[in-house]
Amino acid sequence: MKQDRFRVITPTGDIDYRNLVRGLTKIVWPEFMLHDQVANELWHELLDRFADYQLALYDTQNNRVAAMGNSFPMRWDDTLENLPETGWDWAFAEAVRNHREGISPNVHCAIQIIIHPDYQGQRLSAPIIESVRAVTASNRLPALIIPLRPSEKSKYPLISLDDYLTWTNEAGLPFDPWLRAHARLGARIVKACHESKIIRGTRVEWEAWTQMKFPQSGRYVIPGALVPIEMNVEKDEGVYVEPNVWIVHEVK
Amino acid sequence: MSEDGFRIITPSDLDDYRDRAGDIADAAWPVFMHHDPIANENWHELFDRFEAYQFAMLDTENDRMAAMGNSLPFQWTQALEELPEEGWDWVFLKAIEDHKNGIAPNIQSAIQIAILPDYQGQGLSVRMVRAMGAIGKSRGFKQLVAPVRPNQKSNYPLTGIDDYITWITDGGLPFDAWLRVHVRAGARIIKPCHGAMKIIGTRADWEQWSGLKFPQSGAYIVPGALTPMTMNIAKNEGLYIEPNVWMVHEL
Repeated sequence: MKQDRFRVITPTGDIDYRNLVRGLTKIVWPEFMLHDQVANELWHELLDRFADYQLALYDTQNNRVAAMGNSFPMRWDDTLENLPETGWDWAFAEAVRNHREGISPNVHCAIQIIIHPDYQGQRLSAPIIESVRAVTASNRLPALIIPLRPSEKSKYPLISLDDYLTWTNEAGLPFDPWLRAHARLGARIVKACHESKIIRGTRVEWEAWTQMKFPQSGRYVIPGALVPIEMNVEKDEGVYVEPNVWIVHEVK
Repeated sequence: MSEDGFRIITPSDLDDYRDRAGDIADAAWPVFMHHDPIANENWHELFDRFEAYQFAMLDTENDRMAAMGNSLPFQWTQALEELPEEGWDWVFLKAIEDHKNGIAPNIQSAIQIAILPDYQGQGLSVRMVRAMGAIGKSRGFKQLVAPVRPNQKSNYPLTGIDDYITWITDGGLPFDAWLRVHVRAGARIIKPCHGAMKIIGTRADWEQWSGLKFPQSGAYIVPGALTPMTMNIAKNEGLYIEPNVWMVHEL
């Protein structure tokens, strides 16, 4: 790891943190992904309640942020196999509720690990994932769970996620590069969560988000979406239900 | 014929006409579109039998071939509404059969209008359509038909072509850019032809053509394809059936 060049920065340790990471999320995701209602209502909670769990990799050569990890502690007493179908949206709301009610956490959950497009393909996935896992360990939590977005599923929108998860490469590792990055570091797939994020918008909103047109009701393939969206012109509502994958890193 | 820097040329005007036309086709189409067996087996016939129906647009300032058009004559005595579902593949073979059998043509069909990406969005497409119709008109034909590839359909692969061709802009013109070009040049839509081209390849072929992987049987979205491609792993065969739209220009 290029530890000399990339340094972990945090909201509590670096006063410039907020400015440095500002805008990164917008660069990384397709526009429609920025309209998850749960995310938009709760995003501030990451810094308000869980500042110690936010971090970024700072490129000291170019003085900019190359990658970011957002996570929080939460409580889960059941087996991991029973984690909810509503993955991402559920985890975020649940963590906030746990914190508000003073329930002590027993697991670490990451909701976003992203690499700036300029730094993709430069082997930063292992360092940023390991940096998030270090937070799990330093908080003495036994596991890091992630409702993970398989990055290349968007090229296969008509394949069910359950099938897609079984695809492997010649080395027997997951076909999906982002799943593979985690698997290489020891993570295992728990199961799919089929309604991890729900994004709703009017027809006009979806047209603005995608630069497409939706003249009639039906299913549409949207660039960057993991499955088709369903547009209902009569109700003036398009719904995208994003499937993710629950994975777990057991952290010793 | 020369206006504002472009000149219509014919295959005999350039020694390397076919190479340069091929370069335009390579740039204009997704890779899998170059693997229609009917096209590949018969392309030479355009030049062997129908040379007068092939033309290109030359940029006279830099001598680049900016666009090309391919068409052919055939005989059709039924109503245009009866034109076959197998649109493009069918009309190519029909024209050759007619020519072989000495059947006199009475109508012209477009096969391709392709514009080099550098020259797209400059109004060349309407001029190409008109130049193509001028060829048929000079032969005394009353109509130019075309199995048109609605190019933006690839953004809407799950929408039926019958629905897609009803989509219009605020100005009442077709939503699809290529359909709009033809309508602006005076054409009307006759009907869709749902099996205009059939492209078949092995799994390895399709992986090479698309850059995707096909680990299991099923429908796949292939970039540039107008409908999903169906992969059958047991048969080691991926099948793409391209829908086009029959249109007609009265000459």
